[in-house]
Amino acid sequence: MTMAQTARLHDDARVNARCSHCGTPVPSEELRLGDELQFCCNGCRHVYGFLRSEGLDRNYYRLRRADSRENVPATVTGRRFTDFDNDIFEKAHVETLDSGHKRTRLFLEGVHCAACVWLVERLGDEHEGVVRLRLDLPRATAEIEWNPQVTALSAIARRLDAYGYAPHAVQSGGVADLRRREERGLLVRLGVAAACAMNIMLIEVALYAGEYEGIAPHFREFFSWVSFLLCLPVVFYAALPFFSAALAGLKNRFPHMDLPISLGISSGFIYSTVSVLSGEGPIYFDSTSALVALLLAGRYVQQRSQRAAVELSERMQHAGRAEFARKRNENGTFEEVPPEALVAGDLVEVLSGDTLPADGNVVEGRSSLDASILTGESRPVRVEAGAEVVAGAVNLGGRLIVRVDAEGERTRLGRLMKLVEEASGRRAKIVATADVVSRYFVSAVLVLAALTAAIWLVRDPARAMEHVIALLVVTCPCALGLATPVAISVALARAAKTGIYIKDADVLERLRRVDRAAFDKTGTLTGGRLELVHWDGDDATARLAFAVERQSSHPLARALRSRFRALETSIPEADSVEERLGRGIEGRVERTRVALGNANYLESLGISVTEAWRSKADDLAERAWTPVFVAVDGQVCALAGFADPLRPEAKEFLEKLRKKGWALHLFSGDSPPVASTVGRLLGFGEREIRGGVSPEDKHDLVRTLKQEARKNGNRVLMIGDGVNDAAALAEADVGIAVQGGSGASIGAAHVTLTQPGLEPVAELLDGSRRTLRIIYRNLLFSLGYNLVCATLAMMGKIDPLAAAVLMPISSLTVISYGVLGRSFGTRRRAASA
Amino acid sequence: MEVVFFLLPMSLLLVGGFVALFHWSVRSGQFDDMETPAIRMLFDDEEDAKLQNRQKVEENAPNRAETAEGR
Repeated sequence: MTMAQTARLHDDARVNARCSHCGTPVPSEELRLGDELQFCCNGCRHVYGFLRSEGLDRNYYRLRRADSRENVPATVTGRRFTDFDNDIFEKAHVETLDSGHKRTRLFLEGVHCAACVWLVERLGDEHEGVVRLRLDLPRATAEIEWNPQVTALSAIARRLDAYGYAPHAVQSGGVADLRRREERGLLVRLGVAAACAMNIMLIEVALYAGEYEGIAPHFREFFSWVSFLLCLPVVFYAALPFFSAALAGLKNRFPHMDLPISLGISSGFIYSTVSVLSGEGPIYFDSTSALVALLLAGRYVQQRSQRAAVELSERMQHAGRAEFARKRNENGTFEEVPPEALVAGDLVEVLSGDTLPADGNVVEGRSSLDASILTGESRPVRVEAGAEVVAGAVNLGGRLIVRVDAEGERTRLGRLMKLVEEASGRRAKIVATADVVSRYFVSAVLVLAALTAAIWLVRDPARAMEHVIALLVVTCPCALGLATPVAISVALARAAKTGIYIKDADVLERLRRVDRAAFDKTGTLTGGRLELVHWDGDDATARLAFAVERQSSHPLARALRSRFRALETSIPEADSVEERLGRGIEGRVERTRVALGNANYLESLGISVTEAWRSKADDLAERAWTPVFVAVDGQVCALAGFADPLRPEAKEFLEKLRKKGWALHLFSGDSPPVASTVGRLLGFGEREIRGGVSPEDKHDLVRTLKQEARKNGNRVLMIGDGVNDAAALAEADVGIAVQGGSGASIGAAHVTLTQPGLEPVAELLDGSRRTLRIIYRNLLFSLGYNLVCATLAMMGKIDPLAAAVLMPISSLTVISYGVLGRSFGTRRRAASA
Repeated sequence: MEVVFFLLPMSLLLVGGFVALFHWSVRSGQFDDMETPAIRMLFDDEEDAKLQNRQKVEENAPNRAETAEGR
């Protein structure tokens, strides 16, 4: 940092301080006045210190500044990662190479820029025993090869963690490998087809010129044979996927786009081959091979564009579950093991911030748990010795020792995930418009071909075959087959750029028929975080309340502190603070006695709560806010109301959907009174609100909605964020996981949002509508084009040259409209303009 | 013009060679990640910076410098 920067920091540190590590603004409570270096969080402070001690800071920060990507604060977990050395982990994620080295892939949290690549890959040079380390930046996955005799994976993982890149096991494993092989295979086919097609075209130029200018027969024969040879790998290797898909479609009695494509390719090839062998007649090798190359290109592009969303969801699918457990050994120490290694009866330690790895009973310690991910309940649950706890809940308070009852799939979370998997597996593939169009298209082409044959058999039997083939080649739905994939892949890529990850292109089409939607409350329509939304009292009381609450880690205390942050510098010290779980807190501040809590709690302390205060509190309770009284020296002086506030745009957004004629429902895991109060505020009718529903109930409710919607052929949309929504999201025709959603919900949903709020949902609806419009127009265009060409072919006006010119023109038209047409991202652009 | 009988097969051989190269490069994973290599090449021009860094490390912690040398 330069002198000038330091000076400026001192001047207006409160306004301008940026983290010395990640560059994000430093929140006021983290500011350390007078320090040259400022950090936004402990993670960044830690990483900065570590890089400096290793002498890596200079290069790292130079690269980091040069990169314009958005910055993220670093997190350091401080874990031991011994579970990475466990046999169970190795079996699932590590492969042993012939050389005796081991190899695995780890997903690194927080990797985002060029400097990250440099720092992570440097570890390959610095860490003894690491043979090879390559980071894939877009996927944030490091491939690590190491010598197990020299180092252990846990040691490498600890080092990565210290750099601020918390490593996680990559869960998808075999599926990702399979997909990678598939994608590579497709690319090789595309390469072969393109290379052959371009060379055939060069040769055909000579042949076409020969048609007009005259060509020596031995040249003509030679060129024809060469283009025949070049077309062989195109048809018998590159185009195989089309043939096999067309055959599969025929077997299922469901002909789709691949059938007319295969028909065009094979008829073009066979007829041209006959022409070459007989030494006369037109050849279509150039059109055929160019067609294959273009179609493969469309398919490859689409596959790659869906990859980002698919990978994101796979990565998150297991994220709701604990990644590791601290299990007690025989000698009484705790060791990190994979959760799969737990058996009933084991004792595990759960520290603050950890996710519970299994269902069980608390043996020791007391704390509060956030089980909202599982139940949707926005308030934390108090637990102490003897309490039952569930896997997936997050420990917010102190250390707990838990005896394991059920682990893995036997936990409530495990069963729930099973339900999710079943719902996802059951989802029927919908019939895309393009497939419907192509079904009619095939029949139409075949009828036209028969007609052509009939007409020409009467008029000129010798040329009948030639014209039929010309028809088949020229109507081969190149544009039809390209129009949809291109428009979809461009839309998916643009959507991903605006923070909307669409896993499945079918979603666009399904959204069109949605007429009812179900919403989760906590975290979806609300912000998912308690805030102080009402304060009836003066600043002096606030100061005293702050002093007492400063010693508590309860979410209500946190909400109060963040509301009165401005007062922070003038807060006195509190002593003899005592907190009663779930009821209230009491302490002494500057010789006054301050107590916060509900009416029962204050009365148990001998403080009377007057009717006036009680009725005020009732008013708050009516709005589903949690009232908390503040008493100073035995007198109630203030009333605070806490709530999980609604998202500001929620009401307007729902109104917009209602105007479209959608039926909206609210399914909340929160208690029925809270759900119905919030629901009424948002304009839901009493019958549309269901409170206190379990995850299984949500799933069933969505299922019922689906059955109702099916009567009119309509679809159901579900929007949620928690693990408790996952099964419902998977069951719905379109499930959307909002930003900040749990891993399980992201894994189950068809669409994942990475921008906060409901605004992206509106963008998704608009964008998919525009995308479909592009697709329809393209389909219409290519149908019109094919109609013209078919007419020409039937009249006998199409020769190989005309086919070679007309086909690429139609393809280019649909590609350019697909690429240039407005689909996603227009809202963003309009907003920034 | 009869030279095409020789030239055309030659050029086809060339095409075959390139297709084989392409095949190899795809199979070895060169097209799996299209972003990181573009960044990685930036690091190679940094021998100076690395050297400076190492000198700094030597000043700060002589024992760590030894392991760096030993590599």
